[in-house]
Amino acid sequence: MSELDDFKATYFDECSELLTELEEQFAAIEAGERDANRLNAVFRAIHSIKGGAGAFGFSDLVGFAHAYETLLDYVRDGRVELTDDVVTLCIRANDIVSDHVAAARTGEALPADYGQEEKARFEALARGEAAEDDGPPIEEFDIEFTPVMVDLGLDGDAPAEDDDCFEESPMAGCEAGQWEIRFTPHRELYARANDPLLLLRELAALGTLQIKPVIGDIPHLAEFDPFAVYCSWEITLNAPNTTEASIREVFEFVEGDCDIAIVQLGAGTAGEARPAGENAPAREDDEDDAFEEAPSLSFSELAATITPTRVATPSAPPAVVAPKPMAAATGESEDGRGGGVQSIRVDLDKVDRVVNMVGELVITQSMLTQQMDETLRARYTELVRGLEVLAQTTRGLQDSVMAIRAQPVKSVFSRMPRLVRELAQKTGKKIKLETIGESTEIDKTVIEQLSDPLTHMIRNSADHGIESPELRLQRGKPETGTIRLSAEQAGGNILIIVEDDGGGINRERVLQVARDKGVVAPDATPTDEQIDQLIFAPGFSTADKVSDLSGRGVGMDVVLSNIKKIGGSVHVRSWTGKGTRMTLRLPLTLAVLDVMLVKVGINPYVVPLSSIVETIQCSRAAFERVPSGGQVMQVRGEYVQVIDLAARFSLTSDTDEGNRFVVLCEGEGATKVALVVDDIIGQQQVVIKSLEENFERVDGIAGGTILGDGNVALIVDVQGLRTPAVHKSAA
Amino acid sequence: MTLRVLTVDDSRTILAMLRHTLSNAGFEVLQAEDGQQGLDLLKSESVDVVITDINMPVMDGIEFIRNVRASGQHQSLPILILTTETSQDKREEGKAAGGTGWIVKPFDPEKLISVIHRVVH
Repeated sequence: MSELDDFKATYFDECSELLTELEEQFAAIEAGERDANRLNAVFRAIHSIKGGAGAFGFSDLVGFAHAYETLLDYVRDGRVELTDDVVTLCIRANDIVSDHVAAARTGEALPADYGQEEKARFEALARGEAAEDDGPPIEEFDIEFTPVMVDLGLDGDAPAEDDDCFEESPMAGCEAGQWEIRFTPHRELYARANDPLLLLRELAALGTLQIKPVIGDIPHLAEFDPFAVYCSWEITLNAPNTTEASIREVFEFVEGDCDIAIVQLGAGTAGEARPAGENAPAREDDEDDAFEEAPSLSFSELAATITPTRVATPSAPPAVVAPKPMAAATGESEDGRGGGVQSIRVDLDKVDRVVNMVGELVITQSMLTQQMDETLRARYTELVRGLEVLAQTTRGLQDSVMAIRAQPVKSVFSRMPRLVRELAQKTGKKIKLETIGESTEIDKTVIEQLSDPLTHMIRNSADHGIESPELRLQRGKPETGTIRLSAEQAGGNILIIVEDDGGGINRERVLQVARDKGVVAPDATPTDEQIDQLIFAPGFSTADKVSDLSGRGVGMDVVLSNIKKIGGSVHVRSWTGKGTRMTLRLPLTLAVLDVMLVKVGINPYVVPLSSIVETIQCSRAAFERVPSGGQVMQVRGEYVQVIDLAARFSLTSDTDEGNRFVVLCEGEGATKVALVVDDIIGQQQVVIKSLEENFERVDGIAGGTILGDGNVALIVDVQGLRTPAVHKSAA
Repeated sequence: MTLRVLTVDDSRTILAMLRHTLSNAGFEVLQAEDGQQGLDLLKSESVDVVITDINMPVMDGIEFIRNVRASGQHQSLPILILTTETSQDKREEGKAAGGTGWIVKPFDPEKLISVIHRVVH
């Protein structure tokens, strides 16, 4: 990675943080918290995004951010009122900035007029106010962002830039010439730590210099003011190619802190170093006798002249001589530096490498444990103890490493308030959003994948769930609907729940549509719960028209497939007239899974431990046949579908029926399924390897893993196994 | 003698770029993320020049410069203001607070170094 790429990576990282901050700030601003701190924070965020964009030449982003920033600046100093309209415009602008950042990151081009309308509105708002104020008009933004700095010509022969000509006074032509410069610093110049010697040195880079110090009336010691300025300089600059603008630029920083007179002495006598005192031409302000009398000094002599002057100025109090002892006296030499730094930034790649290696370590550790048969255990007790400690430490290490990747869901949740606000606006409904458990932490990768599904689910709730205010009142509900977004940890999973107090799923309609679209066979009679779940079926959408809210042309099946991709599942439950609850069940981590190792035929399979409720010997289970040809078993009064994994995966099982095992698993929404396997081998942790990436998607299989003994085992997808059976029974 | 530069900016991008450019030019670089951190650092570290952003949380650049000058120890410490403003306002404000000069973002490395040499020996 080149250095520039490194900087860019830092920049994009920073941008996403700033964009999140913008979302948060505007959520508060939108809620009426419009204090100066928020406005400043918002301004800074845009300012930082613009600053970095300028450095990388993302000119579209710079242009847009500049207009936005200018408006924010006007808003925070009160020149533009922060009306609801302006807030809405800003929120829209955040999106545009975000898109620009994304485009800059991927290198894709946005349409040329993208964001132009908003930009124009910013400019109009800013202009409108400025005009009323009679203040300076907002300057047209120079896309080149050319820094106004002097070319110091470090190699000594500073060529004047052609561009500089336009700034010159008429008397200072671009042609060669000799210059008389009179430079009288004020005390402010020293107070701001400017140094005449450096200015003169810089001037020397333009051409040949003759400098004479003009020592004014230095008073007697008794009247000597150490902060007063008693010295000025007369300078003759022989610089054939320079311009007045270039000379003025040398004094750019001290403008206003000194008197500076620059006079051109007619056409150049290039290269002729003429002592200024010898042949000083008449000048308008030639009233100073010292100019004639003072001997000319070389540059080094000048330095000697200046040094005492500086000591006499306020710029060098004794304290500065010994800053270190002073610091020691304050007693915070170390603390001052280290304070507040409690986190480090680490490249995600590095963390992932650690995660993977820890994963491999877990495998090796479990392999070692497996190798210990009873004989070895009896013989090497110390070794066994060591292995136990190793197992514990490995587990601890793994947890710690996972914690590094974990991030609070807040980063995703914080984007939702404005989504709800937009949705409320577009649908004309009144909706409030409640968020709970924002600090719940999930693996970073999961978080990144969470935004889209969550957006979709909330859109769905707002679009199909929450009723119109009139209807709500009619139904005796509060006019304002509530969408509750919550996150909690439940065992090895994170539950993200989107709940609304709307009308619930219209099951008749859902079933009708599902039948029409062939998702469900015409004669099938699915349960209410199965109907609810149908909204996630591919190609299913009850929306009469593709609304630009929930729609975007795709249905909730996208949610399901996205969530499945990150090893999670979705379950929906609805109460007619009361509301709908959608639950996302996500793994705490993507990399490692606690599993039960089982045998089916001669092959090892693994079942995620988190989904297992209990295991039962087949001899104790009561299977019953159902008319459709399937099997069910009764578990505490509940009928559970039985799936024989050997049959399901077309394997032959040699094990006696009575010696086989039932692994009772809980799928979504407490729906259970009983898997029949040949044997239970034990529990362990495995590192998940994607089957899709390495092979292809297989129904009923969630992935693969490499076991401690080097064998490959497939991970059973409990939910996926069940689904086709539902269709089968429905067909 | 290696010159020490204190860079103060809330943008990690800018801090990183400054560090890169300045280190390559042989400067020793100290970093602070806001004015307060900068002030704290100056209590324990001696530096030859300060480069500071204006818009920062906690303590902005103007306040930072004012505090540095008011501390009584750093009147001759050159302080350069980093600014993207094309308008004069911020520079004037920075100068009034005691700023020595300014650097316009985005800076190109050569100019950054040359501006520093304008204010430091």
